[in-house]
Amino acid sequence: MTLRIEHVSKTYANGVHAVRNVSLRIEPGMFGLLGPNGAGKSTLMRILATLQSPDSGSVQLGDLDLLRNPDAVRQRLGYLPQDFGVYPQVSAEALLDHFAVLEGMSARGERRDVVEALLRRVNLWDVRKQKLGGYSGGMRQRFGVAVALLGNPELLIVDEPTAGLDPAERVRFLNLLAELGERSVILLSTHIVEDVSELCTQMAIIDHGEILLEDAPLTAMQQLRGRIWRRVVQRSELTAIEQGQQVISTKLFGGRLVVHVHSHEHPGAGFEPAEPDLEDVYFCTMAGHMGARALAPA
Amino acid sequence: MKTWQTFRFELAYQLRRPWPWLGFASLFVFTFFFSREGVVPVTLTADFSVNAPFVVTAATVITSLLWLLVAAPIAGEAAARDVQTRMDQLLFTSPVVKAEHLAGRWLAALLLNALVLLGAQAGSVAAVLIPGLAPELVAPLRLGTYTAAFAYVALPNAVVGTTVQFAVALRSGRPMTSWFASFVLLFLAVPVSGFVAMPLGFPTVGRLTDPMGFIAIWNSVLLEWTIAEKYTRSFTLEGAALYNRLVWIGIAGAVWGLMYTRFRFAYRTPYQAIGWWLGRKRLRSTEERRANAAQSAPAGARATSSIGGGSAPTPAAARSFDARTRWLQLRRIASMSSVSLLRSPAGLFLLTVFPAFLLLVVTVQLRVLDVSILPRTGYLLSKYLTGATLKPENFWLLVPLLILYFAGELLWRERDARMADAHDTVPVPPWVPLAGKFVGLALVILLVLATTMTIGLFTQIRLGYARHELGLFTFVLFGLQFLDYLLLAALAFAVHTMVNQKYGGHLLAVLSYVFLLLAPRFGVEHPLLRYASSPPWSYTDLRGFGASLGPWSWFHLYWSAWALMLLVGATLLWPRGRETAIRARLQQARARLHRGALGLTALGGVAMAGSGAFIFYNTNVLHVYRNSDAQVALAAEYERRFGAHANEVQPSIVSTRLEADLEPSARRATVRGSYQLRNRHQEPIRELHIERAAGVRTTLQLSRAVQRIDSAPALGHEVQVLAKPLAPGDTLTLSFEVLAAPGGFRHTGAVNAIAANGTHITSALLPSLGYQPLRELMSPDDRRAAGLPRKVTLPTPDDVHPSMLAGDAGRFEAIVSTDIDQVVVAPGVLQRSWTDRGRRWFHYVSEEPIGGLHQIFSARYATAKSRWRDVEISVFHHPAHTQQVDRLTASARATLEYFSTQFAPYPYRFLQFVEQPAPGMGMGVDGSGVVTVLEGATLFNAPARGIDGSFEIAAHEVAHQWWGGMLTPAFAEGAILLSESLAWYSAMRVIRQEKGQEALRQFMQTMRNPSPWPPIRTGLPLLRAIDPYAGYRRGPFAFYALSEYAGETAVNTALQRLIAQHRGAAAGGSMRTLATTRALYRELQTSVPDSLRSLLHDLFETTTFWHFDTKAASARPLASGQWEVTFDVSARKVRVDTSGKETEVPIREWVELAVFAAAGPGEVLGTRLYLGRHQLRAGTQRVTVVVNGKPARGGVDPYNLLDWEEGDNIEAIGDKRSPD
Repeated sequence: MTLRIEHVSKTYANGVHAVRNVSLRIEPGMFGLLGPNGAGKSTLMRILATLQSPDSGSVQLGDLDLLRNPDAVRQRLGYLPQDFGVYPQVSAEALLDHFAVLEGMSARGERRDVVEALLRRVNLWDVRKQKLGGYSGGMRQRFGVAVALLGNPELLIVDEPTAGLDPAERVRFLNLLAELGERSVILLSTHIVEDVSELCTQMAIIDHGEILLEDAPLTAMQQLRGRIWRRVVQRSELTAIEQGQQVISTKLFGGRLVVHVHSHEHPGAGFEPAEPDLEDVYFCTMAGHMGARALAPA
Repeated sequence: MKTWQTFRFELAYQLRRPWPWLGFASLFVFTFFFSREGVVPVTLTADFSVNAPFVVTAATVITSLLWLLVAAPIAGEAAARDVQTRMDQLLFTSPVVKAEHLAGRWLAALLLNALVLLGAQAGSVAAVLIPGLAPELVAPLRLGTYTAAFAYVALPNAVVGTTVQFAVALRSGRPMTSWFASFVLLFLAVPVSGFVAMPLGFPTVGRLTDPMGFIAIWNSVLLEWTIAEKYTRSFTLEGAALYNRLVWIGIAGAVWGLMYTRFRFAYRTPYQAIGWWLGRKRLRSTEERRANAAQSAPAGARATSSIGGGSAPTPAAARSFDARTRWLQLRRIASMSSVSLLRSPAGLFLLTVFPAFLLLVVTVQLRVLDVSILPRTGYLLSKYLTGATLKPENFWLLVPLLILYFAGELLWRERDARMADAHDTVPVPPWVPLAGKFVGLALVILLVLATTMTIGLFTQIRLGYARHELGLFTFVLFGLQFLDYLLLAALAFAVHTMVNQKYGGHLLAVLSYVFLLLAPRFGVEHPLLRYASSPPWSYTDLRGFGASLGPWSWFHLYWSAWALMLLVGATLLWPRGRETAIRARLQQARARLHRGALGLTALGGVAMAGSGAFIFYNTNVLHVYRNSDAQVALAAEYERRFGAHANEVQPSIVSTRLEADLEPSARRATVRGSYQLRNRHQEPIRELHIERAAGVRTTLQLSRAVQRIDSAPALGHEVQVLAKPLAPGDTLTLSFEVLAAPGGFRHTGAVNAIAANGTHITSALLPSLGYQPLRELMSPDDRRAAGLPRKVTLPTPDDVHPSMLAGDAGRFEAIVSTDIDQVVVAPGVLQRSWTDRGRRWFHYVSEEPIGGLHQIFSARYATAKSRWRDVEISVFHHPAHTQQVDRLTASARATLEYFSTQFAPYPYRFLQFVEQPAPGMGMGVDGSGVVTVLEGATLFNAPARGIDGSFEIAAHEVAHQWWGGMLTPAFAEGAILLSESLAWYSAMRVIRQEKGQEALRQFMQTMRNPSPWPPIRTGLPLLRAIDPYAGYRRGPFAFYALSEYAGETAVNTALQRLIAQHRGAAAGGSMRTLATTRALYRELQTSVPDSLRSLLHDLFETTTFWHFDTKAASARPLASGQWEVTFDVSARKVRVDTSGKETEVPIREWVELAVFAAAGPGEVLGTRLYLGRHQLRAGTQRVTVVVNGKPARGGVDPYNLLDWEEGDNIEAIGDKRSPD
């Protein structure tokens, strides 16, 4: 069940080109879509979730045309939105059961089993009878996951799922996704690089509606080997270094400034070679040292 | 200052939204039409200028009610937008003080609402300035009128409304609840206050419970301003209006205070926000549970940090997308929807407060004249338990409004909770949630109807009535009324789906409903064009539903087809996903067009076209359809063409002979008959003006040669010119045959006159002679538009020619056949009755001339006959309605006895009481010798002694045979005094004679209740009375007072002479002249002793009120064994002139004072120890009397001869022993 996105574009009424000629081929497994805020990730996610329609292009899930058969696609779809609410006066169990009915599970016994399993899965079984209005943010997020997982979707779209989860919850969530990735297409849209690097076998980097890079994370990191250098600097030296080198990131580590620089040869004194990680890939792509921006005419 | 900053920001924010402007526009347009179309109801069609203060004030009050429904989002948004948009956390942590925040927001909302309300004033002014209005209707534009209306009416309303809406929205955290606040205010203003003021009988309280001034201002102005004042008086705040404003501003202040103290800049969890009415207790327990859960969960969670909370794979459940699953999903959505509605504040209100109010209304209203009414199922259903959705005349208005509100809430539920994305991506086609929510709303409506039925049954059980007729309850409530509400729900669903904006949807839904209510005023009259309209169903015990269900069903089939298509359209346009642009939604709609939708649309289309065609055939082809413009044009044409003949002499009908064949089951009647016409005037008659009745086929033939016939069939009038004029004293015969077969139905419904059981046809079906002035246009507006001269609506009594003749009276004979199991009633004495050829025949004759409307009834009546002298008294009634028969007969006998001795002998040899198949409460007299008893009047369920309702009303109606029958008033001011007041006065005398003075005293006490006739001040004295209060209350009280002072004989002999005078020269009541109050007054002046001339003058020639009050009463025993009673009384006499100005005048008449002993068991007052007249002066004074026997109660004017205020003047007498 491959997801093929071909030349999809969408422009909003206020002139913003949210998605520009995006083409992706996504095999079963975890696919990470990485990009800054406002890159067009959520728009693309919503198009794939049948909530919005593109101005042009096509999307195929297996042999189903998503734009022509949205109903059929919804039967195979699970969607966890970035920002959602719940009915405050309904309990988790009742609302999950309601969604299970909407997902077509008409047999009561089977449905009950599914609801129980999912609630245990997301660790909400003990609080299943509480009203959703009293849930914390993390609990609400877990409930959304349960809803998205109903019906064993073949296409699971999760939009910024770990923002707002504490470290333990985040780990739990990512583990959960990893298990599912064996069978379905899981599209994970995020701006947290670690999520992608830990989980995804494939990824794409998107900015201003365009795909800048589509590759496996390991391959991309490999590509940068030998081109990333790091140095601990004083704040006063920063400006000079920025003028002289292609600084791709400036971070604080233990209270000291660490710069990462992209260079094909050794940049000079003080710099040591760094093992490129996905964050470096991300910054390099955004800066135009690799990916689509690197190929574009100057 | 932060307040200013908050205020400015809020103002700017909302001014950039559409709804304040839409609110302004709606009020503007509404007031414009309101002022122009003269929607102002008054007692007479009067010609008020469009900018008279009366009209402007009325428009402002009415528009305030519309404002409540239209502008609720303003206050709601100002109060709760922060919480709704979850911006509260940002705002509440900024350094803004509670007072500044609330004040700033509230002021902004208030200013916006005040600006919206200015739309009403603007509309009022525009109504005058925009050309198209006749110049006579425009008074000089006075700014003071508008500022007064705005400052006294609109602005306080804005303060009260804004504050309550603001407080409710603030508390709940949802802007939409401001609408709920509006509903509650509307509910208080119209139904509740109206009920408290009138049926409950507490007008002062009712004027204080009204937040919008509907009862306090509008109703008061309507009733209390004299006609002259309505033209000129400016509106100022005084009396009840002032107190109302003060009280409600005070309440608004209290609400403000409460809101201020309870509001906190605190973070609201969603649960807290909605659970505010569940109370803190529940919240605490859930918090405890959460704490426990949090404690127990982490241990387990940490243990499984590497995997999810359970490593077992999720079991697979079979998923299906077939019809069964869709049905399950629909059921689920329906139950979730209905539960969410029932738990909302509005839902709780609809299921608790509303039924409580309904129960209160039913309980109170089931007493008429202080006699309890049998709660018959049909009567309960027609009068109290159902309400026409398009004619909201009472509290049932609230249900359609709440249906509109609920529809919006249901359709926006997911989006409000931010769950729309999750719901939009489930594999459920849009018709499932639409149908589910519709069914959910339907379930709530069913619950309301079930509650209504429970109240009906409870009332019946409580009053010991056992014939519950559950089938009728079920059919009417769950069949007829339910379908009406469903049609409205479908409209609301369609509107909210298409207008994909929450406030816009609500606004449009409300405005659509208001438009539907007022559609005829906007020119949309034909029921085929007005959504959800249909001729009403009607139910009476005698006739059942009659023919009313036929057209009702056809119309509802037609509108249901429309509703189905609307719902299909809503499904196609169902908002799903984030695309809100029109084009995208239309694309979505096109993609959703599949077999099912097309099929349903086709089905709806076919049903609509088919039923519509059938209806159109009935209303426009089988019958003539004329909208109001066409009717006005017709009436104008009639007057223009034939008005010149208005005073032309015509021959009189001296004898009528009818042969009628009634076929009730076929709904057909054939009447063959003839009039014998005689020229009773001094000049020859050349032309005969004959009119045929509308809706029947008439053929006629004169017995004399006719030279030519000028006919105007469209106007229903023809002139037959005789070859040889009819000489004075000569006769001719007019023969006719009338076929009444009103098949099908008109746009107003099926003609019910000929029914399977309960036929009632009148001589209105027969040809009539002469020009009919009642067919002329009455409204000054219409006359002006048609170019007709201005008509004096009612001449004064002095402007009536003394020798104007009364209508014809003649011999009457009827031979009527009907179904074999029915009884025919026709005026006259029944000569004989026989069966022949499977039908039953009746032969009635009245040799004594009878006049008025001749009525023929046919139904499965039971008959009760008795005699009084040579008069046959018959009561024809529904076989199960037996309670009243004896009382009617007793009343008839007593009345005939009294009247024949006091006034004039009863001229006929029959007196018939006929139960008429109509659901009203009351009786009527339209023709000689016949009293029609509406079915409601058979419901009196009275104790054996005292007032029973039927006796009293029957006495009044029989009295009409004299007052109205033998003595016919001229069409002038004061006519109502001669008919209604004299009827009640003489009935009161009969009551006193038969039941005693105490019974009459209690009866007069119930007469003084404001329901059904609240005191109206017209400024006109009784001799010029025109309004029902003067006719049915003031007049009788005045006559009674006069007769107590001058003596019954004096007054009655005057009346006797009055009848004799107008009887005419010839025997048999022919050539009677019309009477005026001038003649009455002359006779009274002759009879009444000189010492009472001033009282007579006060009572009839002026508007004078006496106010007496017994402030304190005490007694002490005397040595002789008698008791000395001391009263502190206050007295006041006020005269009101036509412009409403009141002056105090000295009291010249001696006033009664009475003392009563203690009451025995079952009595209200004990034996009367003393009754005497004392000279009182204005102001307070002390009066002392000595009585034999221990006094218990007493007072001044105990029989309310002069003091006609509600309540009585009798107080308890306290003990005052002198210290020994």
